[in-house]
Amino acid sequence: MQKQLSRRTLLRGAGNVALAIPFLDAMQSAFAATGGKKAASRVGVVYVPNGMIMNQWLPAKTGTDFEFTRILKPLEAFRQNIVVVSGLSNDAAKRAQGGGHAKASGSFLSASLPKYTAGADVRAGTTFDQLVAQRFAADTRVPSLQLGCEDSRMIGNCDTGSSCAYTNTLSWKNPDTPMAVEVNPRSVFERLFGTIDPSLDAATRARRALYKKSILDVTREDTQALTGTLGASDRRKMDEYLTSIREVETRIAKSEIDPEKTPTGEKPSGIPFEFRDYVKLMFDLQVIAWQADISRVSTMMLGREGSVRTYPEIGVPDPHHPLTHHRNHPDFIEKVTRINCLHVEMFAYFVDRLKSTPDGDGSLLDHSTILYGGALSDGNGHSNDNLPLLVAGHAGGRRGGHHFAAPAKTPVANLFVAMMDQVGVPVERFGDSTGKLEL
Amino acid sequence: MFPAIAIFVSLAAASDPAPVFQFVKKNCIACHNKSNASGDVDFFALINVKPNTFDAERDRWERAASKLKTNEMPPPAVTSRPAAGDVAAITRFLEDEFARQDRTAPIDPGRVTARRLNRTEYNNTMRDLVAVDIRPADAFPNDETAYGFDNIGDALTLSSVLLERYLYAAERVVRTAIFGPERLKPAMIHYPTPVRLNDTVEKPTIPKDLFHYDETGLSSLHSAHVTHRFPVDGEYSLRLVLNGHRPNQSESARPAIYIDGKLVHQWEFDATDLEGQSVEVRTQVKAGEHLLSATYLRNYHGLPPKYNGPEPSKRPPMPMLDSVRGKLSEKDIETLRKYGTKIKTDRIETRIDNRFEAIDIGGPFTQTMGPAAESTRHIFVCPQQTDACAQTIVTSFARRAFRRPVVAKDTAPFVKLYNLARQQGDTFQEGIATALQGVLVSPHFLFRIERDPSKLFAPVSDVELASRLSYFLWSSMPDAELIAAAERGILRKPATLAAQVQRMLRDPRSRALVDNFAGQWLQFKNIDVLKPDVGKFPYFEDSLREAMRRETEYFIDNLIRSDASVLDILDAKHTYLNERLARFYGIPNITGPEFRRVDMSKTQRGGGVLAHASILTISSYSTRTSPVLRGKWILENLLNAPPPPPPPVVPALDEAKIGQSMTLRQQMEAHRANPACASCHSRMDPLGFGLENLNAIGEWREKDGNFPIDASGMLPGNRKFSGPAQLKVLLKEDREAYLKSLTEKLLTYALGRGLERFDKPVVSAIAAKLPASNYRFSALVFEIVNSLPFQQRRAAIEPTGVKSE
Repeated sequence: MQKQLSRRTLLRGAGNVALAIPFLDAMQSAFAATGGKKAASRVGVVYVPNGMIMNQWLPAKTGTDFEFTRILKPLEAFRQNIVVVSGLSNDAAKRAQGGGHAKASGSFLSASLPKYTAGADVRAGTTFDQLVAQRFAADTRVPSLQLGCEDSRMIGNCDTGSSCAYTNTLSWKNPDTPMAVEVNPRSVFERLFGTIDPSLDAATRARRALYKKSILDVTREDTQALTGTLGASDRRKMDEYLTSIREVETRIAKSEIDPEKTPTGEKPSGIPFEFRDYVKLMFDLQVIAWQADISRVSTMMLGREGSVRTYPEIGVPDPHHPLTHHRNHPDFIEKVTRINCLHVEMFAYFVDRLKSTPDGDGSLLDHSTILYGGALSDGNGHSNDNLPLLVAGHAGGRRGGHHFAAPAKTPVANLFVAMMDQVGVPVERFGDSTGKLEL
Repeated sequence: MFPAIAIFVSLAAASDPAPVFQFVKKNCIACHNKSNASGDVDFFALINVKPNTFDAERDRWERAASKLKTNEMPPPAVTSRPAAGDVAAITRFLEDEFARQDRTAPIDPGRVTARRLNRTEYNNTMRDLVAVDIRPADAFPNDETAYGFDNIGDALTLSSVLLERYLYAAERVVRTAIFGPERLKPAMIHYPTPVRLNDTVEKPTIPKDLFHYDETGLSSLHSAHVTHRFPVDGEYSLRLVLNGHRPNQSESARPAIYIDGKLVHQWEFDATDLEGQSVEVRTQVKAGEHLLSATYLRNYHGLPPKYNGPEPSKRPPMPMLDSVRGKLSEKDIETLRKYGTKIKTDRIETRIDNRFEAIDIGGPFTQTMGPAAESTRHIFVCPQQTDACAQTIVTSFARRAFRRPVVAKDTAPFVKLYNLARQQGDTFQEGIATALQGVLVSPHFLFRIERDPSKLFAPVSDVELASRLSYFLWSSMPDAELIAAAERGILRKPATLAAQVQRMLRDPRSRALVDNFAGQWLQFKNIDVLKPDVGKFPYFEDSLREAMRRETEYFIDNLIRSDASVLDILDAKHTYLNERLARFYGIPNITGPEFRRVDMSKTQRGGGVLAHASILTISSYSTRTSPVLRGKWILENLLNAPPPPPPPVVPALDEAKIGQSMTLRQQMEAHRANPACASCHSRMDPLGFGLENLNAIGEWREKDGNFPIDASGMLPGNRKFSGPAQLKVLLKEDREAYLKSLTEKLLTYALGRGLERFDKPVVSAIAAKLPASNYRFSALVFEIVNSLPFQQRRAAIEPTGVKSE
């Protein structure tokens, strides 16, 4: 039995971030700045669900002297690093069948129609982050990261007969393959740095690495032999497995993790209790992945569409999604606004981290383009017009500091075309794009 | 190669379809046409489908027949209604036609795509294969679900992310089995606990109902609950960080900690200011997930007499306290602090708000090391450390892991891995570990692969049948007895098969049916993640949440174990309650945290899952009940009649017009005035209204706000009812739909594939056999196990002809 005041204060103040910081420091010393080499471009998407209280989000003025609205306020310090983008629509979501939330996130980054089904035959479009990831795949160990801050272990269909695939992830590798979202910081860490026990000596590590390669060899040969004896649908499953084996083999061949670069700090132990700590830790991992050039593409969902997370820490003990169907009730609107504000506050943390992390001749932020926002504007009516979006970062030399108002109903795909252009993956058309947004 | 064979032959309809077409033109086509196509149906197009629209467009016609039969169509608002006799004649025609199609359709067992083990199956299989229960699959990406279940072969994909997890899991499992669990550095996990005490703040005396804590104290507002996965067996430190305070003169606070509802330790803590204090105990904990609960025992006992609590404090009041009025002097404060009294600015705290700030878990200390004896027994079936023994060990392991006999060719690659490790100078055990890791990422282990028959369709092999059985009933691999029966070729003998199924149902592993089948079918596991509104339901706390889930689990588990009637799910005379839930249900004289069977036949609430708070809560909004959600839940899960999604432009409730003076029912009925809504809601809403006596967390009520509950309604066929008891009687009258629904769900789960058109006769036949065996659960399982699709497999040819979709 003892007085615990000082310890308690410490826990209060730092929460679970205490786990992250020493680990980050260790990492930063492990990865010296990528001196000399031309800095790579990075692409990020940070997604917020259930729409936005638009009159608290959208600045009234356009151009360079736009004002920071209540929701955007946390980003004010980064005025010169962001462009607020308005006037964009996602037509695919409007044309699609299915639940309003599933359609929105299911079509968002591909600007193409998700098939209405709760069965195994999900189909949407390849998303722009994945096009970029495929282009960058040769240069990094992890082509892309799909992160989320909401466990999606819900059962059944997720939105009036639409498959959970449409709300659980943003990224589609191809029209049939949604990419699973990782919500556990420890798993993300292991994905980035592998699972080899850092306490083993170099010789043992080398042997284990050799065995792993041999196990993959054996498995590949075994699977190939098996495939020839199976019918079509079973063969598809084996082909899927073979593809995975080859991907892992390529990954290993390309970049065996340098023991010198294996972090020595504690691994994150799991999901932090407080939402803020959780989000920060996930952003920290994203920063490390970009900084160490383990990956250059990330999508991050602060929540998935239909999210029923409660936010008691900001006086919102009610679940998010039902609140957004506010029917103009001022109390509901206020609560949703607070959630919107908190999310932007979290994003500002990410932008700050990127800005303060050196990368080549500048900072990570200088070499990134990050989309922030959602696939619904008014959550109450499931509107897909005038989406709440902004971009941060300066990849491709983009200047910040203004509010870009596109003509109403401009396809959101035009923005993706611009972002791809900025990171050196130009495309003529994408989804239903009609051009490139000149940000 | 096989010749293409027409599986579906589209025959002309048995009798003249003209009356149906005339009926449709007269009554349906005004809304269901090319330009309007309400509900995605265009009857113009439909009646022109050749040669037999009822066959080619069966799903649409089936829907039409069912809507006519239940009077959902034409919608109630349509004034020129078809004569009842006409409706009956048309639906009879359609049903006869469907029955004819089913009679004449060629039989087809279907094909199940190679099924990857899902997370549950992977964990269970590892547990049974090497006696390592570290649940490695918990760290895998979520499994894809389809048709409501997460074991559907076509839906389960395998990405490189998952493969990396497989490699890591294989390494951890094998190393744990051979060398014992990895040595873990003690680590501290901090769980801040939510504050749920706002109710008692600033109240000088205690609200009476707070005395009604159960004997464990785990249900009270000041308790805290955390689910934690302990990585290994070992000693852990459990620390409770306290907060709040108790009034002066109180007897000691008695913080206590429970693991999985069992008391681990209690303390006497003699101070009134608890903020930041902590108590700690070290205890041995088994690896795995455990529920840690902290509470203060008999919290309102031993308070100063003026609080009117039970067994008030016998301590003398501190003399200076009675004389204190207004500001305290410095000397008083000093004296009081010596007693550990909480002083807030210039007065003495009088609240009772002791609670927990956090639960900290440290460890493992003195971790249990070394391999488990059972793991060693499973793996090292040959005692010497020789290459010959290595061969034997790998062969035995592969045979169990692949769930079938193996030949030298199967095991050669893994023996090669053993040799590689030995050549590298590693030990015998390391060699075996390397080989076994190879086995555990082999497609023969990760997938349940079934060989194609050499004719159109044929029975699956006996060992394949053994795996079908074990993954159906246990979500795990076959055990030695089952696989032995298969290898001896006697598994298909009716007596053997029946005995094996009975044995498997009685085995504790059949608990998987509760967790995986019933959990996904009835969706009651969602109770774990739902958050009823704290303002409206402040007493909804984690022990109640836990009790709700466990009621349904106990109920289904006992139904399976006692081989009761599946109709009990609709309505039963009994349920399973502990003290917490019994109090919540208003049932007296049940004490203690253990669940026991309780007769519900004399209660208003009654039995069956529609009386379970878990089901009632998951089918409600966080703030209020939703007759729509509940109606939809019943239609989807019990009657297999899922309503279509709302039309693209849902007319919103005009809540501005509807004043606060209306009941929810009146609001809903106003909504139903719109024919587009009415067609579905006339079916959904009455079911939900029948349950309106049970609020959004399943508590009985007579009033909703200011209005008395109106739990009356009408089901198709002018069958009126009022309240849940009568509703359940009517649902039992509709048992045919329910039995078909349950059969479809269990068959889907058993097969691991979505059902097809050719499965319809199978489902009908199974459902039709259940009454003869008093609807016993095992009868349903037997019928499924003996059914064509479970026993047989079609060859790998794509059917030609009309495919149902």
